[in-house]
Amino acid sequence: MSAYRRAPRRAMTAFWNTVAMLVAIVLGFPIYWMLLTTVKSNKDLIAQHPTFWPSHWDFSSFSSAMDDNFGANLWNTVVITLGSVAISLVVGLLAALAVARFDFRGRKPFIVAILVVQTVPLITILVGLLPVLNSANLIGSLVGLILAYLVFTIPFIIWTLRTYIVGIPVELDEAAMVDGCTKAQAFRRVVLPLLAPGLVSTGVFAWIQAWNEFVMARQIMGPAQNKTAMVWLTFFSSTPSHGSDYSGQMAGALIIAAPVIILFTIFQSRLSTGLTAGAVKG
Amino acid sequence: MSVIQNRPSQREVQSPPPKRRGVTVRGKSLPYLFLVPSVVVLATMMGYPLVRMVLLAFQNMNNYRKFVNPSLVSYVGFQTFSSILSDPLFWQVIRRTLVWTALNVALSMLIAMAIAALLGRISPWARVTLITVLLFVWSMPTIVTGTVFRWLFDNAYGVIDYILYLVGFKGMLHHDWFADPNQGLYVVVTSVVVWGALPFLVLALHAGMTQVPTELKEAARVDGASPLQVYRNVTLPILRPLLMITTALSFIWDFQVFNQIWTMRNGAPEQGYWTIGVYLFEQAFDRNRYSDGAVISVAMIVVMMLVLVFYIRQMLRIGDQK
Repeated sequence: MSAYRRAPRRAMTAFWNTVAMLVAIVLGFPIYWMLLTTVKSNKDLIAQHPTFWPSHWDFSSFSSAMDDNFGANLWNTVVITLGSVAISLVVGLLAALAVARFDFRGRKPFIVAILVVQTVPLITILVGLLPVLNSANLIGSLVGLILAYLVFTIPFIIWTLRTYIVGIPVELDEAAMVDGCTKAQAFRRVVLPLLAPGLVSTGVFAWIQAWNEFVMARQIMGPAQNKTAMVWLTFFSSTPSHGSDYSGQMAGALIIAAPVIILFTIFQSRLSTGLTAGAVKG
Repeated sequence: MSVIQNRPSQREVQSPPPKRRGVTVRGKSLPYLFLVPSVVVLATMMGYPLVRMVLLAFQNMNNYRKFVNPSLVSYVGFQTFSSILSDPLFWQVIRRTLVWTALNVALSMLIAMAIAALLGRISPWARVTLITVLLFVWSMPTIVTGTVFRWLFDNAYGVIDYILYLVGFKGMLHHDWFADPNQGLYVVVTSVVVWGALPFLVLALHAGMTQVPTELKEAARVDGASPLQVYRNVTLPILRPLLMITTALSFIWDFQVFNQIWTMRNGAPEQGYWTIGVYLFEQAFDRNRYSDGAVISVAMIVVMMLVLVFYIRQMLRIGDQK
């Protein structure tokens, strides 16, 4: 014990700080390299010895990334993700209210089902979903993909919102009702305002998942004009003209990842608590 | 007799104070009404497709039969199952997937626990820096990650080769990481997947570790336990439920990895890179053998559930013993 106490703590902290910085550098390096590549000139990129700082700044990568389909594809992603998140927030909020605020037969099985469906791999659903969408004539349409994304946005939203609603004390809406509010008023004036932050962050994370989704988007959406941003990036990277245009690829990757990176870093603290809270409550 | 008498009185006691759940107690049908939209959507977009998928598995559907000669499409019982299950490629993919997933889960859990422990013993400024980096890593879309790492590991101008060359591995300059699928999958793709998995695991485990009561650790120390013993006998047992959840989540995520492999192999993964998700994609969507794809889907779900059930039971058993 005394040996432990007397150990040179400050030296140890300095040592661990150094280790932590090395870890941070290693983990952060791929992102740094992506950013660096976007501002490197082609001459720098094919240099025999890659440099860790650009010899001069060159932003032409961004214009080379914005090929004919880029804008349209990015817009598709915006429409699809906002559409599916808007629908699933409404649908999911209702279900989350039901499981968090009501006692009814079938409540437990429903919660378990919502947990289980989230483990079913999307790609296996897709095998059966494609013929269904095909017979509904929804292949290649934004609507088709919006509906497909509900498969994962709705369970996620129900699951996460549920924990937020459970966190709002029932006594609050009871008090409002004692003071003369109807049920609907109590919900609108008491529960909803308290739930707003939860709704926003849940919506943001459902949106991020939809934004990043790839397999469904690739198989459900049609030709070049119709793709989503993520699918666009994979096609851009494998065309003959851009296959080795790494600065263009990195610029495109950065642009389509930027909204996610920004929103994620703003909202993450809520996610990590929500995720683990939900997980622990099981 | 007494039971019958008791019942009404119990009901009387229960019913008057609506102490239950705020906004919405009465109206027995209201909760079901609230569930209708989500149940309808999930049933049509997920339930029905899963049924279709299972039906497909018992057919002989492929591109040719579907569009050129629909009269040949029929229910063939377990024929498609037996043709897939007797294909050595299928078992090779299953084995590769399980081994690779186990490697990824083990590596990410071990590294995450090390970094989480590290976070607990560094200065605040260092903690903020490391957590910030982790957040940026976490926020990266997997398609973007795969694209970035393909560039990092590029054999002509990739920086990884160059760094290895700088630190003394002269032969590694222009090394082609992807030529050997084993190296490509087990080293390069693993590094991407672990890199992407770390932030969530580290932050979750770090949050868990900060909840371990310091009095307990102090007490153990006073009793003469070394830091390692404190970690093994105090921290770990308290963390176990969290470890179980994060390991299970890691398994679910790593088992179905697709995007990273897809982008790192530029949309055309060679057979050596086929884990079950990629294999499924290639059969069902690239070669349009829909029924084969359906059989593989069933296998994918079954294997995943088997492993999860086995794992959870195993964990419960350990929990019982203690």
